[in-house]
Amino acid sequence: MRPATAPTVSNFDIWGMLWTLVRTDFKSRYHATIGGFVWALLKPALMFVVLMSVFSLIFASTPHYRLNLIVGLFLWDFFGEATKTGLTSLQAKGFLLSKARFPSWILVVASLSNAAITLCVFVVTFLAYLAAVGRAPGAAGLALFLLYLTLFSLIVSGFSLGSSVLFLRYRDLNQVWDVIAQAGFFIAPIIYPLDIIPERYHIYLYLWPPTPVIQFSRAVLIDGGFPTFKAHVLLVIMAAAVFAGGAAIFRAYSPNAAEHL
Amino acid sequence: MSVIEVRQLAKSFWIPSAKRETVREHVLHFYRPRSFERLDVLRSVSFDVGAGETIGIMGRNGSGKSTLLKILCGIYQADSGSLRVRAPVTPILELGLGWNPELDGVDNVMLIGTAMGLRLREARESLDEILTFAGLERFAGMPLKHYSSGMAARLAYSIAFKAVRDILVLDEIFAVGDQEFRARCETRYRELNAAGHTVVLVSHEPRVISTFCDRALLLEGGAIVLDASGAEVVTEYGRRLSAG
Repeated sequence: MRPATAPTVSNFDIWGMLWTLVRTDFKSRYHATIGGFVWALLKPALMFVVLMSVFSLIFASTPHYRLNLIVGLFLWDFFGEATKTGLTSLQAKGFLLSKARFPSWILVVASLSNAAITLCVFVVTFLAYLAAVGRAPGAAGLALFLLYLTLFSLIVSGFSLGSSVLFLRYRDLNQVWDVIAQAGFFIAPIIYPLDIIPERYHIYLYLWPPTPVIQFSRAVLIDGGFPTFKAHVLLVIMAAAVFAGGAAIFRAYSPNAAEHL
Repeated sequence: MSVIEVRQLAKSFWIPSAKRETVREHVLHFYRPRSFERLDVLRSVSFDVGAGETIGIMGRNGSGKSTLLKILCGIYQADSGSLRVRAPVTPILELGLGWNPELDGVDNVMLIGTAMGLRLREARESLDEILTFAGLERFAGMPLKHYSSGMAARLAYSIAFKAVRDILVLDEIFAVGDQEFRARCETRYRELNAAGHTVVLVSHEPRVISTFCDRALLLEGGAIVLDASGAEVVTEYGRRLSAG
């Protein structure tokens, strides 16, 4: 027997809905006030100032370390925040999913916007700081950093797509992820330099997606070096694999998502 | 030509003897087998809807009406059978759409409107018309959490009536709002009908089915037991209800 096919979503204004979701999410998070909007943009910049001030006192003799620490913390913050909201995105917007027909991946992608905005503000602030202290990265370094951010976004999107549909079936997946993310914070070399770990274990740490993104970003922004071509290829493969895996899970389970709300 | 073609559509839900909705429950009880009870919600349902036709669906609670509508709209997937929908569908299900209670009326119109298929520019341009139709111009800036359920439902219907493309799928229309709003809905509905829109509507109200529908289906136990004129289906539905 021929399987039933759902009506197609034709001529749908994907960008219009995506923009509306991003705008309204931002608005409800910051209570639709001008002060809230300004705060949303200032918060990451102020966090940078606070962290720089504190770390300048604590790690006065190791300027590289404090910059590495800040880059690691902000990239981790993006990963932690985006994966957390991405995981619950379909459930959070279930009121739309159960009543209207539209491409449901829009809900997942839109849910990552707040974390992405915070990261963008940080990047601008951090690059401005580097330029001000005469350590601005060159064009190649900047281009590579943007590549890492793109690949990181791809990893986060893939994870969010896959986990968002699984969360509808396993309602404590967010708690499980909280524990994993907590452990992941220490697996990624954020507060410690990777060098203190014996080299033979590095390969395992690099399997945790934030590790290569953080390490490579530090290399091009702060250390002035470039990871090898092979390392870049491996990162691209990792990002593609995570995204493809997440997208495959989403494709398999999302048609029935409304039945599990 | 049919714009909706349904052939031997079937849908079942599997009800487990014990619910397992968490990773913890799955891990701790993986060795305990569960039995499942099969609930056949739709059994081999077949019908066609022609372009511009208005078809009503009647049936007792649990007869499969809402599941059928959700499958027609692409929100649920059928287990077997075939479904061809040859035009865009605008659904108004379960007394309108849900809302983001923290956002005001305007933002909810934009959110729901774009989800229902309005282009962003269309949603912006239609804002005043939608609010006026719902009679909620004065409350446009108020967060939805302060709306009554009737106000929220009126807003949902207003958006859907504006967003309607070709096929309109309605669940219990004309059961919302006061007399004046219902009259406005009926007028708008007649305009859409006259403009050639196809309508599939579920209702328990005999007057709605016999007045607005060219044809109606009577569902019982997930199967179509009568496919006839609205008046005939209303009579048969009433007879079956009184027979228990």
